[in-house]
Amino acid sequence: MPILDQGYQHWNGKLGGHALRWLTITRQGVRAQLKNRWVVMTLASALLPALVLGAFLVLWGLFEQQSSILTPILFLFQNLPEELRAGPKGYRSTFWVLAFTQFFEIQLFVGMILTVLVGPDLVSQDLRLNALPLYFSRPLRRIDYFLGKFGVIAAFLLTITLIPAVLAYVVGLAFSLDPMMVRDTWRVLAASFAFSLIVTLSAGLLMLAFSSLSKNSRQVSAMWLGLWLVGNVASGVLMQPGRAWPPLLSYTTNLSRVRDAFFDVDHEWERVGELFRAGKGVVRSSSGFGPLGMRRRGRFSPPPPPPPSESAGAPAQAPWTWSAGVLAALGTASVVVLSTRVRSLDRLK
Amino acid sequence: MLIELEDLTKTYGAITALAGLSTALPEGAVGLLGPNGAGKTTMIRSLLGLIAIDAGKGRVLGMDVVHQALAIRQAVGFVPEDDCLFPGVTGVQFVAYAGELVGMGARDALQRAHEVLDYVDLGEARYRSAESYSTGMKQRLKIASAIVHDPRLLILDEPTNGMDPVGRDEVLALCRDLSRAKGMNLLISSHLLPDVEAVCEYVVVLGKGRVLAQGRIAELKQAHDRQFELRVRGDQRRFAGLLAERGVRAEPVNDHLLVDLPPDSTVATLWETAESAAEQIRSMRPRRSTLEEVFLRALEEPS
Repeated sequence: MPILDQGYQHWNGKLGGHALRWLTITRQGVRAQLKNRWVVMTLASALLPALVLGAFLVLWGLFEQQSSILTPILFLFQNLPEELRAGPKGYRSTFWVLAFTQFFEIQLFVGMILTVLVGPDLVSQDLRLNALPLYFSRPLRRIDYFLGKFGVIAAFLLTITLIPAVLAYVVGLAFSLDPMMVRDTWRVLAASFAFSLIVTLSAGLLMLAFSSLSKNSRQVSAMWLGLWLVGNVASGVLMQPGRAWPPLLSYTTNLSRVRDAFFDVDHEWERVGELFRAGKGVVRSSSGFGPLGMRRRGRFSPPPPPPPSESAGAPAQAPWTWSAGVLAALGTASVVVLSTRVRSLDRLK
Repeated sequence: MLIELEDLTKTYGAITALAGLSTALPEGAVGLLGPNGAGKTTMIRSLLGLIAIDAGKGRVLGMDVVHQALAIRQAVGFVPEDDCLFPGVTGVQFVAYAGELVGMGARDALQRAHEVLDYVDLGEARYRSAESYSTGMKQRLKIASAIVHDPRLLILDEPTNGMDPVGRDEVLALCRDLSRAKGMNLLISSHLLPDVEAVCEYVVVLGKGRVLAQGRIAELKQAHDRQFELRVRGDQRRFAGLLAERGVRAEPVNDHLLVDLPPDSTVATLWETAESAAEQIRSMRPRRSTLEEVFLRALEEPS
């Protein structure tokens, strides 16, 4: 019994508008997922690459300024090519691009895990417990429902991709103390935005489509892992010199190809390669110490990091637009599946 | 008027669910009767703007069902027939979430959720997972979630389906209280006539997608001028025999006789029979149709 039983009371509060009603679904979904300790642990582990990225950008900023703060670790930079040490500002966009792409490479992996933790329940549980009539008999459209559910995945994926990337970018800018930094690196920010949104859109739609295909969340998880891991394995097995299409079987490789295109990574790797090749002789004669201070006995030279396309024996690569096409096709298929499986109530019982 | 529908037509392929349905329903508690496939659920979905109607127009609480569907769903509470739940929530979270989905602020929704859960007598179970509730509790939870924003109209689709007698009585008592004590308009769809009769004062009978009969239950249950329920002091069967000798058919039903006067007889015949047999007539009243008779008659009449 309630302590003070007032019976039914009328309510005279104000109801909100419809525009952001989907946010209610997103909020509820995020709240529910944050009760899962695996989700929280994955989110926490995703912080580490972000911290490393931030730390690198801070170091780079200090390195550009030849800051005295770096004096204790200056030996780490002594093996770098002279051209780079003399004018690091000329290479800032290159190293920022490489840092951000490495960051996104790791976050892509974490994102796949996070998606499989967060996504399977989203629609499948609603189908299992027949919650759709409860949603659609309220002032919600189907698009609100989809947006709300998509928002849950988006919230988590953007938390580990876009948000740390932007924060790291801001930190990097702050430590560069150079207004020209924005001019040199705005493409990095734009590519970060574009790639984060592509990953979120693609993974979100795909997971929602999978989630709508079964009332059993474990089956949905299996579908996702199948797409991700089986695709990767199949791609690896079928890879041969001269064959350009096997990477298209791998979902994450397709995402990576699009990312590399956005960041123009191949071009930046080429620059780094040229830089190190040019500085090879200088470096060989100028230093006998490795990055950890160990004597290299004259045989040390920083290996010029080859761009993936130039590696010996590397298979031919399909243009990135093919990968984008595969992602677009998967997205379109997801929308079709979703609209078919999550039907309105405009049907006979 | 609470609801006005004009020539509402809805087809699903070759099946006509609503065939030019026209009606105007007054405020209060309205029962929507009809056999399976009569179009009750389709009509409710049309009222909520959940389906695209083929022809006709309608207004609910003065709002157009085609162009103001979202506004209608915001002003109306709906308790679906199906067993349906929001996953992974407790009772109070369920109701609060339902409130937020209609546009209540999170804090208002939570406070109001506690109030309505007390009202539907689920206060003790509010922190239990909704999935662990019994059928009756789930039904009351759905009602709580439908009234959380204090709607002007509450639509219940087969609210007592699959419930045990106790749970059914509880739900009907809730509906009666909402309608009579709280002034909420109700539209209750059911094929269980006693349920409708227990709550509603107005009824619409649907069949094959159109209105077969409608009106105040008290008026539909018309008094018969040649049929009476008659109670005597002595032996009912003996008195029935005496009436039969005078050409009046009388049939014992429970504690009274159901008397059917032939066209050439009047009530005086009954009094004369009693007087001659030294019998006392203790009560006599014209027989009224039951809602079941109204319903069956409506279904039998050619449309």
